[in-house]
Amino acid sequence: MRVRRADVTAPRSALGRWRESSWGRSERRASWALEEATGLSRHGGRPDGSHAARCRRGTPERDGRGGAGGGAKLKFIFGPSAIQALDLVDRQSITLISSPSGRRVYQVLGSSGETYTCLASCHYCSCPAFAFSVLRKSDSLLCKHLLAVYVSQVMRTCRQLKVSDKQLTDILFTKKKQM
Amino acid sequence: MAETLRRVLNQGSSAESGEEYTAEAGPPLLLLGGPGSGKTALLFAAALEAAGEGRGPVLFLTRRPLQSLPRGTGAALDPLRLQKIRFQYPPSTHELLQLLCSAHEALGPAPSLLLLDGLEEYLVEDSQEAAYLAALLLDTAAHFSHRTGPGQGCGLIVALQIQEEEESGDGLQLSLLQRYFPAQCWLQVDAPGPGQRGLRACLDSGGLSPRAEWWVAFRPDGEMTITPWPTQSGNPNSDKGSSSGGQP
Repeated sequence: MRVRRADVTAPRSALGRWRESSWGRSERRASWALEEATGLSRHGGRPDGSHAARCRRGTPERDGRGGAGGGAKLKFIFGPSAIQALDLVDRQSITLISSPSGRRVYQVLGSSGETYTCLASCHYCSCPAFAFSVLRKSDSLLCKHLLAVYVSQVMRTCRQLKVSDKQLTDILFTKKKQM
Repeated sequence: MAETLRRVLNQGSSAESGEEYTAEAGPPLLLLGGPGSGKTALLFAAALEAAGEGRGPVLFLTRRPLQSLPRGTGAALDPLRLQKIRFQYPPSTHELLQLLCSAHEALGPAPSLLLLDGLEEYLVEDSQEAAYLAALLLDTAAHFSHRTGPGQGCGLIVALQIQEEEESGDGLQLSLLQRYFPAQCWLQVDAPGPGQRGLRACLDSGGLSPRAEWWVAFRPDGEMTITPWPTQSGNPNSDKGSSSGGQP
């Protein structure tokens, strides 16, 4: 990760400089927001070594060079879905659908073009990865769509769509066809 | 709705009334037990308790109409309370899902308690479908909570019948459901002597409150009496039978 020292408007922290250099704007915002939400440290770590190696080092120290503390922790905890989730947020793929009753549901446009339904109040996504990795194998905590939903909740940016009560019922009910 | 159930169980034991009353619904609760272990009776007692609180109607979902109303503790069968319990009988999983998906369309005050008896009759083999059913139950309760406003909320209690010997398939579904229901109450039939019918209830709120146990006895006329389980539950009495513990 090369850090451009000419980024005068970049934040002063090492992590900030790394972000400026290698991530898109919404990914940076997402990372900051998710750090706030999850309480991950803002301090940067050493740029070398694997994610696991960085975490084995214990508390990361602030250093002058580029650091990948926050992003590495995200990836360590959530696996490869972290970057895919941030990508979904970047592409504005998450829509919050609400009706006059106040009930809400999320829909995420996946990378394959399929639309998946995620519930707002508890852990559920209609994608096959959720059924397999999360429910059956317990390999992951979340699928990338759910992670993208949580990131966009923290960032408070996602598309909004208002539908009628009846349409919301149909959305909730017919999502079965996607499975 | 662990707190409501706890209040029901505590109330029957005439415990100290100094226990502070919280309107908080508490986490969603899964009520587990074998056939005939009193799940419907306890569910109904919770319904009466919530109806008596005057916060909103109670929605009781079950596949078949109750043949006879279970006797509660004391004189809880107040007609005014019974009026506040709305029974609905979705005959299949399809209808149940439709009911839950359209719950926000219903007019009128939002329920303060959502009960489902006999979840095992609606579960299907597919784990994603089962997860969706559980998630929809939670989402419906969350929506009702949102409508009733802050400080109140809608509780959720779901009763599930489990077999005494768990097969591997059931084990997977049960662990799936336990993901969605952090609080569980296990009921185990425990007859200390001939002619006595009773069961042992063990409530685990998932870490929010200490685990507590009660002994629920049924008198010949059907009335329920609840007493706290003696604290020396670690030393099984000779006449208490095999209390191997309701919790795996």
